[in-house]
Amino acid sequence: MNILTSLAVGILFAAGVYQILRRNVIRAAIGLVLISNAVNLFLFTTGAYNGTSAAYSTATTQISDPLPQALVLTAIVISMGGFAFVLSLLYAISTRYKTSDSDEVKGLKN
Amino acid sequence: MNAASLLLPLLLPLIGVPITILFRKQRRLQSTIAFLLMLTALGFTINLLRIVLTTGQPVTVQLGAWSAPFGITLTADLLSVFMLLMTQSVLCAGLLYALGSQEQAVQYRTFYPLFLALSSGLTGAFLTGDLFNLFVFAEIIVISGAALTAIADDKYGVEAAYKYFYISTLASVFFLLGVGALYVAYGTLNMADLSVRIAADPNAPLAMTGMAFLTATFLIKSATFPFHFWQPDFHAAAPTAVSAMLSSLVVKMGVYGFFRMTTLLFAEEAGLLKLLLVILGVIGVLYGGFGALGTHNAKRMLAYSTLAQIGFILVGIGWGTPLSLAAALVFTFNHALIKAAMLMLAGAMASRAAVKSASFEVIVGVGKYHPVAGLLFLIGGMALAGIPPLNGFVSKLMIFWSGVEAAQYIPLLIIGVASIVTLVYVIRAFMRVWFEDNPQAKPKEGDKLLAPALLIVLSLVLGLWSEPLVAFAQTTAAWMLEPNAYILAILGGG
Repeated sequence: MNILTSLAVGILFAAGVYQILRRNVIRAAIGLVLISNAVNLFLFTTGAYNGTSAAYSTATTQISDPLPQALVLTAIVISMGGFAFVLSLLYAISTRYKTSDSDEVKGLKN
Repeated sequence: MNAASLLLPLLLPLIGVPITILFRKQRRLQSTIAFLLMLTALGFTINLLRIVLTTGQPVTVQLGAWSAPFGITLTADLLSVFMLLMTQSVLCAGLLYALGSQEQAVQYRTFYPLFLALSSGLTGAFLTGDLFNLFVFAEIIVISGAALTAIADDKYGVEAAYKYFYISTLASVFFLLGVGALYVAYGTLNMADLSVRIAADPNAPLAMTGMAFLTATFLIKSATFPFHFWQPDFHAAAPTAVSAMLSSLVVKMGVYGFFRMTTLLFAEEAGLLKLLLVILGVIGVLYGGFGALGTHNAKRMLAYSTLAQIGFILVGIGWGTPLSLAAALVFTFNHALIKAAMLMLAGAMASRAAVKSASFEVIVGVGKYHPVAGLLFLIGGMALAGIPPLNGFVSKLMIFWSGVEAAQYIPLLIIGVASIVTLVYVIRAFMRVWFEDNPQAKPKEGDKLLAPALLIVLSLVLGLWSEPLVAFAQTTAAWMLEPNAYILAILGGG
């Protein structure tokens, strides 16, 4: 399970970095989503496998750490809002510049 | 009682967000409410400062009464209050400028709610004592800042907002990675608790990884040299009232992160980080100075100048002596006042130009009909370059003096020479706008000059009577070098 998760985190990161380096702005935004999901998975693994039961106060066996899950939830919500905002910016950019090539989006010079 | 005094500076702008959305149809009422809320928050910040100074103790609130390392702690130690005082006063000036601004962006119904969200994000980031909570407030700053830039009058505002948002989201990713790594290594996210545990076991696996990720985050947030490329675009394209805040306050969030990292989190092991800060700071001073020389736009010039001034602050943090930390704090405060005022003046001149732009080709000669603005710009420019008797002189003198004391002559020589460049570009801008002739320049009403005038007067006062601020900064530096009081106040006897 540990190896599987680490592989998943690594693959998500690799795919995300590859997409970020593309010139198409929409692909770059998708790369951002992949990377933020990789980070969420990484955060989840920081406390996932210590315990054997859920963190109730009455649990008798070793309990899992609930904090990383709370962190992941917060991070997911924030990245969801952020991604919606990026998409709306992309919509504005693609209608204004008539392109999705990031090399063409270069109004701000000097 | 103390809990209320700590929470109010944060809660007032936060409550203001929904309230100002409710009053979105009554523009006058909405802007008045926003301004009054910020003024009240500033009043409570001063009250908080009074409490912290008289008791000599940090004020802490454990949210939801979860005791320290488990819940989220809000803490106002002297460093937090110092940054808070700077932030709230400049934010009030920014709102004042927005009230008298002619820009389209200010007319949007969501302008004031977003501005208040930016305020609460900044306030929360300086007050929180929890690493993950800092991430949340940093996200609030990023989203509201990017949205405020996307609605700019500048037709490239969306592009600037996209660049900023993209790079800041990557910074947030690094932040989360750092948080995760530190949580794996030490099992806590409370900064005081982390500080204790890192001091006890500095070589835990992933500890260095966490530190590296946090460093990368704050380097991006403070727009330091190799991570600066988005900053001039972003600060030049934002609406004037907003770009003044971005260039003077939002980058200070990263600076604050370095203050905390070098004096609290990694107090003992920060040697490498401090060396990195000095090197990057020196490069930033050079690069920002010469970058500002090469620009053709007043706002862009000032944005590059921020890059240089952040460099000075980072060099001060990197030297890490009591005097250089105090110098970095004084520099932070003074730079916020001056840079906000200068950007507002540049924006006010742009609003009076024939075409609304801060490009030198457009605003050349516009100053002919506005001698008062010229005087303010000249005073502000002198302060930026560090000419006595202005506050910029005090901050630069302290930095140089601390460098002499720490016997760091090579960086000192470089930043000393590079700071002369400031004078060159400021005077060049002044000559072009106020002394060259331009037949197209007509007398025209523009943004009100009250807010920059107030800030310039404040920087003149802080130059002539710098004793209180310097003493305040020195006490703060002394607090920062004694993190035990902070830790004790949060963990309670721990």
